[in-house]
Amino acid sequence: MNRRVAYAVAVAAVVLILGAVLSPGFASWPGLRAVLIVASFTGFVAAGQMLVVLVGGIDLSIPWVLNAAAIVLTTTGLGLADRLPLALALAVGAGLLAGLVNGLGVAWLGVPAVVMTLGMNGVLQGLTLGVSQGLTCGDCGHYAPQPLRDLFAGTVPAALLVWLGAALFVTVLLTLTTFGRRVYATGANPRAAYLSGVGVKGVTVALYTLSGGFAALAGIMLVGYGGQASLGLGDPYLFESIAAVVVGGVSILGGRGDYLGVVAGSLTLVAVTTVLRAQQVPEYGRLMIYGLVILAILFAYGRERAHD
Amino acid sequence: MTVVATGVGRAFGGVQALRDASFAARPGEIHALAGENGAGKSTLIKVLCGAIRADTGTVTVEGRIATAFQELSLLPDLTVAENLLLAAPPRGRLGLVRRGRLADEAALVLSRYGATGVDPRSPARDLAVSQKQVVELVRVLAMEPDVVFLDEPTAALAEREVDWLAGHMRRLRDAGACVIFTSHRWREIERLADRVTVFRNGTDVATRERLTEEEAITLMTGRTLGATYPDISGIVPGENALTVSGLTSGRLREVSFELRRGEILGVGGLAGQGQRDLFLTLFGAGKPTAGGLSAGGSRARAVRQPRDAIRAGIAYVPEDRKAEGLLLHLSIRDNVALATLARRSRAGFIRQRAEKAAVSGIAAKLDIGAGRSTAQAAGTLSGGNQQKAVMARWLLTDADVFLLYDVTRGVDAATKHDIYHLIADLARDGKAILFYSSETEEIAGLCHRVLVLREGRIVSELRGPVGDAETIVAASIREPADA
Repeated sequence: MNRRVAYAVAVAAVVLILGAVLSPGFASWPGLRAVLIVASFTGFVAAGQMLVVLVGGIDLSIPWVLNAAAIVLTTTGLGLADRLPLALALAVGAGLLAGLVNGLGVAWLGVPAVVMTLGMNGVLQGLTLGVSQGLTCGDCGHYAPQPLRDLFAGTVPAALLVWLGAALFVTVLLTLTTFGRRVYATGANPRAAYLSGVGVKGVTVALYTLSGGFAALAGIMLVGYGGQASLGLGDPYLFESIAAVVVGGVSILGGRGDYLGVVAGSLTLVAVTTVLRAQQVPEYGRLMIYGLVILAILFAYGRERAHD
Repeated sequence: MTVVATGVGRAFGGVQALRDASFAARPGEIHALAGENGAGKSTLIKVLCGAIRADTGTVTVEGRIATAFQELSLLPDLTVAENLLLAAPPRGRLGLVRRGRLADEAALVLSRYGATGVDPRSPARDLAVSQKQVVELVRVLAMEPDVVFLDEPTAALAEREVDWLAGHMRRLRDAGACVIFTSHRWREIERLADRVTVFRNGTDVATRERLTEEEAITLMTGRTLGATYPDISGIVPGENALTVSGLTSGRLREVSFELRRGEILGVGGLAGQGQRDLFLTLFGAGKPTAGGLSAGGSRARAVRQPRDAIRAGIAYVPEDRKAEGLLLHLSIRDNVALATLARRSRAGFIRQRAEKAAVSGIAAKLDIGAGRSTAQAAGTLSGGNQQKAVMARWLLTDADVFLLYDVTRGVDAATKHDIYHLIADLARDGKAILFYSSETEEIAGLCHRVLVLREGRIVSELRGPVGDAETIVAASIREPADA
């Protein structure tokens, strides 16, 4: 485990301990369970964001890829359990497709990632609003299918196992496979990677595609958690995904970072919000403190990096 | 004394780059700093010119200072003119930069210092490495400094440009300036320096007015080396490994030749005559507009990208290991394994044990980083060891054809020696080697045959070990381009 990841984990631990001291009930399992579930949504989008950041890219289309997938799920699933497999496939497929187009635009057409993914975000927003006519629940058949809601029931909700599975997938992919090596090589020095036979463009396309898939997964899980899809569901997750990645010790320039750090980053963000809410800090104060805490963490990282 | 450093120490992370180093230079002398990579020369220069602080010791420098760092510091997206006049651009009445006059003023500066052949309007990124270095040097010279630090100023320069620089260094000295430079080419130190200070392991070991190469190498390394170039007369080239016909690409014009197994074929000529285009195109990283190549006797699959070239048994070791070779903050192991990942994998998963064995085997064979763990970042290695790590990556591919492009650039004497012997061993094993070096002497000493390029064409082919660089240089400039 490298130093930056250790740092991210330490920060998460400090924030969680602080939370336990400040607000009673935070340290109990129901309290932690709530934090973990909310952190898992950030964890999913941040997994995708991290993958593209590792090659020096960025995915700004996450909010509406997430939202589009959620809408696809509810409108094709119609709240019926037997339609769930089809609805899941369509929702994930939509996310992967959006990511694929992002990747092709960035890698083959040479469109800057910021422009390409921001454009995709706008296109999907328009498309989703147009197709859904602004209505997410024309009738009550559009609610989330029951099996999806059941993911969040129980002492140890299955949703957390989904997160664990995603974490294992990303970690194994990055550390044990040739693909993972090529990802880090591309992020560290694309020219040298290319001259060593790495298919830099193919790697880039694959990562954006995966990011789209992870955004869709987050959308699906949010539908299960909230019971339905709403417009604007994904809006908080652009900032959250980037913040979790950066607080998690991933270099925004590419080539450095891993998912354990991003998990710690996601927990940190959610724990800070939860603690502030428990302290009954008004909304405007929460936003300010939240922002300041992230800046403080990054400032500390910056100091630490200077000693590398 | 214009420049005095006493008891200087400086560490980076855990690495002690300078320890109790002392140095003094006076006005009106050219003073060379000699030593292997990692001996502390560059760090000393950075401390002396104020780019970094010393942890311990004192430093005094009197007069106007100008420095050309080893890492070229031109801004790639600005033009030559903008780079040259960055500090003091021509200004109009309101203090605004007069852009219209930039190019003219820059042209004036360039011609005043005799740097012809550089277009002040072209972006710095489009220049060849040698031209960038010339611009960097003109920028330094134009300050008319009292104290000049030149860190490896000739590493990227061809013979003719070295002469040009030597003239300026002497002129500055005769005008009373103190000129301090580093070089890995002993001939230049011998030719130019009034005094030499030798560094080893972060400290000064001797300052002399006269020093032979053998003495210097002994001082630098603490050991003595055998004959400089390995004897290749016993290696007899075999069957064809690579056939190039009518290749046209970038600056290259209809280049045809054959490269045989066991042969070390040199590519000579002045800098920037298409050598780089030749190497990159053969490796699939440049697009040919005409002609082509076939590897292994039969027409190889079209080589459209480096991946295809690697599959066809071609390896390319680049000149600029930081830009094109290494992933500096990734581990030595990641770096060495990169070109052969798929060979040690099952269903996309890396066979960790096989990889570890392969990497530590080759690292031990090449003596990379003196037994250091291969889990450490490649950036912690000294320059010579970094170059060895890049060589190791390509040795693992077990390619038939090795394209070695200026692989000894900026590498210390001991590592150069190791690399020469490595190349001879490859030839002995039946590998075909295409070799380019910015030091023509290396081509002369190491190759069975030399192709001389001029304006993208082969203008001459010299057979047998050429022996002396002068023959190659003469061939480079003698014949007219359209002959």
